[in-house]
Amino acid sequence: MTSPQTLSQEDQEGLKASVFQRLHPRAYLERFVAEGYRPDGRSFSSWRDVSVNVGSISTANGSALVRIGNTTVVCGVKAEVAEPELDCDTKGFLVPNLDLPALCSPRFKPGPPSDEAQVLSARLNEAIVASGVLPLESLCIHPRKSVWTLYVDAICINYDGNAFDAALLAMILALKNTRLPKAQYDEQTGRTLCSRTETDGLSIQRIPFAVSFGIFDSSHILADPSSFEEPLLDGTLTVILDEHADILSASQIGVGSSTQDALSTCISQAKQHHAAVFKSIYT
Amino acid sequence: MAQIGFDRRRINGPEESFAVIFEDNEEDPSKWKAGMARVGRLPLAIRPIFLQPGLIEQANGSAFIETGKTKIAVAIYGPRQSKNIAFHDKGRLNVEVKFAPFSCQKRRAPIRDAEDRSIAMAIHQAILPSVRLETMPKSVVDIFVTILEADGIEGCVAVGSVAASAALVDAGIEVYGLVASTSAAVNGDELWLDPSNEEAAQSKGTLVLSSMPALNKITSVWQNGEMLPDQVLAAVDICEKQCVEIHTVVAEKLRETHSL
Repeated sequence: MTSPQTLSQEDQEGLKASVFQRLHPRAYLERFVAEGYRPDGRSFSSWRDVSVNVGSISTANGSALVRIGNTTVVCGVKAEVAEPELDCDTKGFLVPNLDLPALCSPRFKPGPPSDEAQVLSARLNEAIVASGVLPLESLCIHPRKSVWTLYVDAICINYDGNAFDAALLAMILALKNTRLPKAQYDEQTGRTLCSRTETDGLSIQRIPFAVSFGIFDSSHILADPSSFEEPLLDGTLTVILDEHADILSASQIGVGSSTQDALSTCISQAKQHHAAVFKSIYT
Repeated sequence: MAQIGFDRRRINGPEESFAVIFEDNEEDPSKWKAGMARVGRLPLAIRPIFLQPGLIEQANGSAFIETGKTKIAVAIYGPRQSKNIAFHDKGRLNVEVKFAPFSCQKRRAPIRDAEDRSIAMAIHQAILPSVRLETMPKSVVDIFVTILEADGIEGCVAVGSVAASAALVDAGIEVYGLVASTSAAVNGDELWLDPSNEEAAQSKGTLVLSSMPALNKITSVWQNGEMLPDQVLAAVDICEKQCVEIHTVVAEKLRETHSL
């Protein structure tokens, strides 16, 4: 074992800081916040870099990889053919799921989806269905007989907070990238046959864009919370904007801010962020 | 009514859905068929390997590997306390393999199946002899492998083992040596290295060899299908030579990442 004397002054300070962070995460964050900064050097309202890579998975009908800081989410769309429900015989299916495997963070255990993954999947489903990204009627191949089912599966491979924004972005980009083969229902044989060469894109109607904030100590609004900040937050606020920066939804989980204008601050910050990155992502 | 594949913890689709069926009359005539010479590669050429250690910040060690279309992420957590109360004077190595639902031609429902487990076993066998488990009693090392895109099961086992070994080193876990691994298939009378999914499916037999080239030791051989004894020996020989080259690439990459 190395004795503390052999470490340089700088290393010792660094060690002290990391031990302090580990033992008293809340006090650690409080000290940064008191100085107007966050542990990763960002200011309260600043975002981590967003980068996207579309269509890198050839086995999927559409795919996207999104990175927000270190958080990395891969999403793939697989199209399958199914029979529609009896009561809505022209509607296809859109099935978004987010998986937080044990690979992405020591917080998650292998096995069935964790509570967090279940909540995030439900919120993503709501965001995609409620905002009318894709009219389900457009997935119809033949009424009452055959429709497309789009399985939109997102996997987080590196969890560093704010998985919701990353997953929604990855899902929408993957859907935009999706190409379905031209399909024809054969009434005689009752089969749906697809063309190998001809494909069609989806008719995406709206592009929801999520912007999340964390509320710390009931007075500070931290944009794009990291995995270190997330467990210390009182609550999170998510604003979902569409492509024209109009609000599709605003939701708050947990205790809100004590100041009245937290929501309006978040909305205006969300619009700023939307203006800054939306165009560069969707070009 | 109980549905097959229904899981309340996930968003569910329709009760049944089927993979796309194509009109078969328009098959590409330029497509490769069994008995033809290898297209795009020499028989003894492998797909180029791209390896990036340390991509997953939260993990003790990690590696992302890409070769051809195959893409695999590996994370190491540990050595950490074993949840089992029973005392072990040696550490344990736990390998879990997960296919992304979109990783194969046909969608994989997110349930663990036999293929996951058999690949996990093969990777476990390939790297087990290299790890100094006696240095970490009572602990467990978790190796999580996520296959984002698969092109050939043999390739997944080989590349997964290489990535897992690199990730172990990235995590600073003591090993005797790096494990390199590669696969071969018998197509016609020829031996083809690193077969793709299609090539492996058309071949008579396949072999995956894992070794520690630094110690000149083989850690695992996994042979499937019909192969003549001479072909097996030839395949072992060719794979072993290829492993030496893979080892150099992996070692160089690890040195590069960790000297920064």
